[in-house]
Amino acid sequence: MEVENRVMEPGSPKFALPVDSDHKATEFRLFSIAKPHMRAFHLSWFSFFLCFVSSFAAPPLIPIIRDNLNLTASDIGNAGIASVSGAVFARIAMGTACDLFGPRLASASLILLTAPAVYFTAIASSPMSFLLVRFFTGFSLATFVSTQFWMSSMFSPPVVGTANGVAGGWGNLGGGATQLIMPVVFGFIRDIGAVKFTAWRIAFFIPALFQTLSAFAILIFGQDMPDGNFYGLHKSGEKPKDKFSSVFYHGVTNYRGWILALTYGYCFGVELAVDNIIAEYFYDRFDLKLHTAGMIAASFGLANIVSRPGGGILSDVVAKKFGMRGRLWTLWVVQTTGGVLCVILGRVNSLVGSIVVMILFSVFVQGACGLTFGVVPFVSRRSLGVISGMTGGGGNVGAVLTQLIFFKGSKYSKETGITLMGIMIICCTLPMTLIYFPQWGGMFCGPSKNKATEEDYYMSEWSSKEKDKGFHQASVKFAENSRSERGKSDSVTRPSDEISPPHV
Amino acid sequence: MAPHGILLALLLVLSCLSQTSYGIVLFSSLKDSLFVTASHTENQVLKAGIDKLTVSWGLNQSYEAGTDSTFKTIKVKLCFAPVSQVDRGWRKTVDKLAMDKTCLFKIVERAYTSNKSNDSFDWIIKRDVPGATYFVRAYAFNAAGQEVAYGQTTDAKKTANLFVVEGITGRHLSLDIASVVFSAFSVLSLAGFFIAEKRRAKSS
Repeated sequence: MEVENRVMEPGSPKFALPVDSDHKATEFRLFSIAKPHMRAFHLSWFSFFLCFVSSFAAPPLIPIIRDNLNLTASDIGNAGIASVSGAVFARIAMGTACDLFGPRLASASLILLTAPAVYFTAIASSPMSFLLVRFFTGFSLATFVSTQFWMSSMFSPPVVGTANGVAGGWGNLGGGATQLIMPVVFGFIRDIGAVKFTAWRIAFFIPALFQTLSAFAILIFGQDMPDGNFYGLHKSGEKPKDKFSSVFYHGVTNYRGWILALTYGYCFGVELAVDNIIAEYFYDRFDLKLHTAGMIAASFGLANIVSRPGGGILSDVVAKKFGMRGRLWTLWVVQTTGGVLCVILGRVNSLVGSIVVMILFSVFVQGACGLTFGVVPFVSRRSLGVISGMTGGGGNVGAVLTQLIFFKGSKYSKETGITLMGIMIICCTLPMTLIYFPQWGGMFCGPSKNKATEEDYYMSEWSSKEKDKGFHQASVKFAENSRSERGKSDSVTRPSDEISPPHV
Repeated sequence: MAPHGILLALLLVLSCLSQTSYGIVLFSSLKDSLFVTASHTENQVLKAGIDKLTVSWGLNQSYEAGTDSTFKTIKVKLCFAPVSQVDRGWRKTVDKLAMDKTCLFKIVERAYTSNKSNDSFDWIIKRDVPGATYFVRAYAFNAAGQEVAYGQTTDAKKTANLFVVEGITGRHLSLDIASVVFSAFSVLSLAGFFIAEKRRAKSS
């Protein structure tokens, strides 16, 4: 008999959506703003979207900024690399902060602390100051981690992939939307009467203001977990306050986190690198107008509206039948196909062919991003934030590395760079075959014959002293709810389930 | 998005094809039949939006009188010197004039009159001219709108008789103040929220 996940406990009728024993929503209703689940979803994706808009607000205005600040191509390239490198460590730090302080405070703090960098972009006056503002603005991309953490805290395993995928995808959309928004804002300000070199500066106040306002919304309307905020839960004793060293240790010693960090670098990292070079690629190779090349570039980022959520939904759909093994296989297949399409993109010589391949490539690469965060929530319960942060940070490392190796200077033509990038995607996706969960299996092996259970896996993160104090209760509940990752064929209770898990 | 993209791409390809049927003009095929001078001194620094540059042009007297029979209009342009093109591919010099990005700013466009020996124009350097090193070049166009001749204030290597334009910063005191104020507001409001949270948690 399948473990009943939808136990209606007495005294929990306060949620608008059906919930599991952890009070996480078991359904994802996109058009609702019911608190706390869907409200958290809308707050997190929208604020993340605005951070993306701010971080990539400069590229569409580069033709004007480069004349105002007398930038060279190297200055522009370095600023582009700087904009994605800040987030590498910021994402890991954010992951830890989420584990310790909760996503609401962590994300709002980061957003308010990086807003000054966006305001100061308006007064940049040299290549160095331009690089610095792009570097610090890029830190705000760490809100990705708080988004995924928040979704993983609010939504139950059967829908966590969908929630993560839609939130992540609609956030990433900001990178494409900004290519359309900023030129319009700039044009409007210039038409009112400002001179070009002043109009772009004023234009930056728009993303900065929206970013500030979104942080306020998170602080006023948001809530860390279905049952309340970390601070309140810590005080009432419902949620024990965790130790930084333990949280960090259990995160970095989990090898699956490192493998996912590498593979995420070759779907999301590649996406960021392409965001930075694709307009120039089409402009140079096919002699298009800058405006047209910009629109094609925007469409690459805009595909996120469906492709990343699609990846998340696909992960959940596959998991219903095949569990975690299905999630892993689908991720590997989709990401490797993305790599193959990348190789083809570099070789196609016609404009129409390139656009078609680019769109297919964007669907697969962004879908792989969504699929990755269908796996991440299960790697660790105690150190969910650190694992999310490592994976997210790995994505940015991939972006930095890819741009440094293939797209800096004139060593490789852009088309050769793209083809080589595709080969690197295929190679760096192979380590996924090494991921193995004793309770569910890996790509090539089934679950361990030694009667491994979800409880064993998630309890191993707590010491016996901590278990005596009852710190591990959240992990117990999560373990119960994650039984769905066994897949349909395995839903018959295993012999190991006869032994009841230790309930304190 | 895909069907729109394909339609757009098809339109672009068709328009590119139609352009090439007009013939490609190369810079190397033009003769320097025009004589161009400008009022600046060597390496002088001029301020955008403030300083004035007087340019004058006419037929280069070393060419015979009939060379200018095809000249219909003259466009005088501000062009980047090589030092301002280094590591800046968007200002690249290429031989195909339709793709050439050396001369991006138009100073003046006039119909060509072969009676006057020299035509001239006083130009206040526009405020959106970026800070860089420049020279002045004039193109002569025929009735079909194609370049047929040119003249420039510098030599063939583009190293002599250059001048510098100091661009505007685009910054204003009000912008500086607004940036600082809004930034401070963001950071202080965060502190305010924290304090309010702590107080609320203490009282509950």
